[in-house]
Amino acid sequence: MAERRKFKKRYCKYCEMKVDYIDYKDLGLLKFSLSERFKIMPRRLTGNCKRHQEMVTVAIKRARQTALIPYIVDRKNVVENPFEFVR
Amino acid sequence: MNNYETLYVLKPTLTDEETAENIAKIEAILVREGAEILATNNMGMRKLAYPVQKNERGLYTIVYFKANGSVIHELERNLKFNEEVIKYLTVRYTKQKELTQFAKLVAASTPKEEAPVATEEVVEAPTAEQTEA
Repeated sequence: MAERRKFKKRYCKYCEMKVDYIDYKDLGLLKFSLSERFKIMPRRLTGNCKRHQEMVTVAIKRARQTALIPYIVDRKNVVENPFEFVR
Repeated sequence: MNNYETLYVLKPTLTDEETAENIAKIEAILVREGAEILATNNMGMRKLAYPVQKNERGLYTIVYFKANGSVIHELERNLKFNEEVIKYLTVRYTKQKELTQFAKLVAASTPKEEAPVATEEVVEAPTAEQTEA
């Protein structure tokens, strides 16, 4: 048996919500595509469609530039409440 | 003319007067360069995701405006030299879907005029009842 998939295969959440444009200030929308350590989740794990994945990638990178979400979270650079930014 | 959105973060150490002064200064640059300001949105004080110039918090403000591309150069030059501004980002909205979102954002950040109308209706209602009685 191959390694089991850690995440259930899902459909694109943004398509379900009928999102046309992902705003970088709307952190609630970005949340689905971020890992616990604020990495961008790959499409194979989130089930995002290609169109929305591209949009969310740009949005996340913009949000990082404006200090809305952290670039990295590791043991040296701990955030007390990781999802404090996502309200 | 293109649609632009600029987000900038001011230092948290400023007094209210100083922040108002800085916001007015940035808007003055836009007006001087011939840009049409559509709306401003004050997101207020937020905790930054990572320290910027040793600041842990910042005052977020967004300006939505219509302008020619040359304005951006002048605006960003001023933002760069302004020491009270610790972060800024300008985004252009061009595609049709982006433009509809832009209109939505502008509508969301413009002050609503429905509130006084609603209060007037409330005032009228009891008077009508009184006349009936």
